Amino acid sequence: MAEVILRGLEMKRESKSFTDSLYAVLTGAGLFSGPKYRLSALSGMAFIFSVHERLLPLSVTAYGEWGTVHKRAADSLGIFTVTDAGRTRHPTFKKYQQDAVKWIKSSLDRGLGAVYWLPEFGVIHGYDDADRIFYVQDGYSAESKIVLYDNFGINFTPFWYAQMFGGKVDIGEKDMVLEALRMALDDWETPHPVPPNRSIASGRKAYSYFIHALEQGDFDSFGAVYVWDAFRGSRTEIMYFLQEASLMFPGLQEAAACYEQLAGMMEQPERWTVSANGGRTLSQESIPALIGVLKEAEKLEERAMGVFRSISVQYPDLKRSTVPRWGLHTAR
Amino acid sequence: MAKTILKDLRMTTESRSYIDAMHAVLTHAGWTSCSKAMLAGMTVTGFRFAVHRHLTAESPTAYNWVAENFLAADFMGVTASSSAGFAFHPTFPLYRQEAVAEIKASLDRGIGAVFWKDCFAVAAGYDDEEGILYYDDGSGHGLQRLPYGEFGQNRSPYWYYQILEDTVELDPIEIYKESLMQAIYKWETHDRMLPEADYACGSKAYDAIKQALHGGAFDPVQAGEVFECYAAAKRDVGEYIGVLASLWPQLEPAAQAYRKTAQAFLDVLGLIAEDPSMKRQARNLVRLFDEAQRAEQEAIGLIKSFMHERIRNRFDHVGLR
Repeated sequence: MAEVILRGLEMKRESKSFTDSLYAVLTGAGLFSGPKYRLSALSGMAFIFSVHERLLPLSVTAYGEWGTVHKRAADSLGIFTVTDAGRTRHPTFKKYQQDAVKWIKSSLDRGLGAVYWLPEFGVIHGYDDADRIFYVQDGYSAESKIVLYDNFGINFTPFWYAQMFGGKVDIGEKDMVLEALRMALDDWETPHPVPPNRSIASGRKAYSYFIHALEQGDFDSFGAVYVWDAFRGSRTEIMYFLQEASLMFPGLQEAAACYEQLAGMMEQPERWTVSANGGRTLSQESIPALIGVLKEAEKLEERAMGVFRSISVQYPDLKRSTVPRWGLHTAR
Repeated sequence: MAKTILKDLRMTTESRSYIDAMHAVLTHAGWTSCSKAMLAGMTVTGFRFAVHRHLTAESPTAYNWVAENFLAADFMGVTASSSAGFAFHPTFPLYRQEAVAEIKASLDRGIGAVFWKDCFAVAAGYDDEEGILYYDDGSGHGLQRLPYGEFGQNRSPYWYYQILEDTVELDPIEIYKESLMQAIYKWETHDRMLPEADYACGSKAYDAIKQALHGGAFDPVQAGEVFECYAAAKRDVGEYIGVLASLWPQLEPAAQAYRKTAQAFLDVLGLIAEDPSMKRQARNLVRLFDEAQRAEQEAIGLIKSFMHERIRNRFDHVGLR
């Protein structure tokens, strides 16, 4: 009866939950070193901005087919990955569940944590065969949660998700940055990340959903703050990333300046929210100013995307000019 | 240094698709006794219909192998794992190593593996001493050899493999019904992976074919291959719906309509044999595709009325189980 608990692996909620998980697993295994904003940008995760029309909390994780987006994240870092996921109501789920328990344990045996949908994303950092349990961190609490092997994957959403990692190849720094800019463009130009669902928008279109919801006043109050926090956090990550990458490509400085300006507009986080019922809600008075910030932010991002595009077209992009045989699909 | 060759695992090219490979593995494993036509229907593979607007030969395999071939297995109650990518991606060596290991592990369990070797092929054995996989691609050359290091090197930049792992008992009635739902989905929905400017799917694929035949912007040799593949798929589906009609007599008109579609494709191949350039017969070809499209539209309409209750329950996404 084996037991494994990975030490020195600590997930902290600071970014998107997947990014936080990825950071914990990769730094824990020595597959990435550096600040989180860099991982967030190089994996493409920072650029992702998705918004439900009513600003539901799910906005922040409903950015596409996870398998595809999170495989892309690992690919761009040069890291081998395996993802699996599905609907827990499908008849094959039990088999996939048992299989996942096996491959996650073998990942832990190799010293690598696994990403797991709780929800949101968390990190499996240990198991105990005697009790048939996994230990999971959610990034909020220092205490591990427990997931029974037999309940693996079952949660209040209709789907399960798990991901593990493996070896690594070195990708040149400049290539990684270029790929990040291209992932940013991909997300910016994708209006709806999970078709046929049109209630969620991404990239450029996410702005219009966000602004419209605020203007109409018809939105989830917890979700609104969560979406806003995630937006602020990710734009700040992009700013730090571009500040250090800006010398790599002529012109990128201008994009960095856009994000500096954008981040500057969102300073003083306490200005936008008020405490209410033990949580935070958007402050009613600040909503008009918030709408103003978003309109300005969209223009700044559009300008930055223009810079990314002008850099991107200077280099061949075999990957995007070849129709793949995987990736985008519609859940069925 | 291990060596394994699975006895009696052979692939023959009939459905001209993933089904040939899947059928070989599943029947060898003893996991199905279904005909290829039944598999083509139950897995929904036969209902897929997409073309590049210039009717390029890759059209029948221009789809999301990972997602669709997973679903093919899932619809049947077979669990699977797979992976795919560009051979030019820097991580490819990591995945190649894993692919060879997974394929060998499957062979050790006595189950063949599907992989891409310029078509869907079946790995039937390996020899560690020589460092090779044995595979059959249905070309009639028997078992061929592929050095481990050459896995994933194909004429196109794609590598792919799929391991079929286990089975779950499903009610065949449910499998048939789901396949009808998915047939509707396939007919009506564009594949997200394919840029719409270059590809057309389902009903619209017929329009693209007719347009190409009108405009002449295609290579007749490649177009001929596309039509042959889809002629096989339509034949399989016609046979499949025929079997379903023996369970549900209401489906008999749909089966007839699919047979009409299949016949039109057969006539297309006949015309092409007379006129390989497809120039003299262009108008007749367009007429046949028009007939095929109308018949298939009719079949889908009949299926929709047969499945109307379940369609209503799925709201705006007929394909989501």
